[in-house]
Amino acid sequence: MSDEPETTYRPGDALVARVAAEAAAGVPGVVALRTDLAGTLLGLAGQVVGTKRAPVVGARVDGRQAEVTLSVVTRLGFNCRDLARAVQREVGEAVRAYTGLDTLVRVTVVEVLIDRSPATPADADVSAR
Amino acid sequence: MALTPDTGLPGTAGDVEAHAPVEPLACGRDAAEVWDHAEAGTLDEHERSCPHCGAAAADARGLEAMVGRLAQEPLIPPASVVDRVVGAVLAELRPRDLIPLDSPHGPAALDATAAAAVLRGVVDAMAGMRARSCRITRPSASGGTPGPAEVAMTVTARFGVDLASATARVRQMVVAAGEQALGVPVARVDIEVVDVFVDGAFVDEPGVAR
Repeated sequence: MSDEPETTYRPGDALVARVAAEAAAGVPGVVALRTDLAGTLLGLAGQVVGTKRAPVVGARVDGRQAEVTLSVVTRLGFNCRDLARAVQREVGEAVRAYTGLDTLVRVTVVEVLIDRSPATPADADVSAR
Repeated sequence: MALTPDTGLPGTAGDVEAHAPVEPLACGRDAAEVWDHAEAGTLDEHERSCPHCGAAAADARGLEAMVGRLAQEPLIPPASVVDRVVGAVLAELRPRDLIPLDSPHGPAALDATAAAAVLRGVVDAMAGMRARSCRITRPSASGGTPGPAEVAMTVTARFGVDLASATARVRQMVVAAGEQALGVPVARVDIEVVDVFVDGAFVDEPGVAR
């Protein structure tokens, strides 16, 4: 019988959110993570009073399961479906590796940045024939 | 500023997550009660003479002084605060229309407005065509899984463009962009040519390009 005291730990929602945000931000094609109104207001309040920004990822831990919800902004040139899958895979693996939690990752691509450039002769031409 | 900790009783914040009882001071008093008494100026005789309670009361007074200083400092919001708040409020109020994305890893979706902007951009990049509006939907197929997307667009064309071939090219580009840029198969493209335009011309007659 071991004399060591029983020790338990529970990863918190904020921890999972920060791990998820770090992992998502590192996925190629993710330009930014978007938060909701509450997150925006918290972030602004944090800037005003000089504290760290609020996490831009929603996370909820329930027992050995975690659920992460994030909204990403990407750029034209990255396939939205492939990007969403990559984010789900990377975030899921990162949270699982760091906390041991099985993680469901909900991803929404909320904006695709389009670099506007003048049309070139190489563009598809449908002028009168 | 009540400092009494959450009791975990029904009807309190403890409903969300029960907290372990706060460790009492070495003298047996509850530190949070001492803080409340110090703030209200109602320290009893023990709390005034006990070193442990005295330390807790000093902490409370120190915190009160710090919070008071911070509260008196003028708030200088960032210059972009209004834009960001208005943007966030509008985004929150706008009913978000989402297109499901196929993924084996869990729920994934694409904002329909963002998808439409991509398809409009593709049409705008074509010589002789300009997109006016675009709507993309992805109705469920049999079995509840999302089926291929349907796109409805209104466009304007340069005066003189062969409309049949132009719209065929638009359809081709939209289908290609749906798969390559969005990752969404497109099964149907409805194109309505609502007007024509003349490059660099300003014509006042109704129904003619401006």
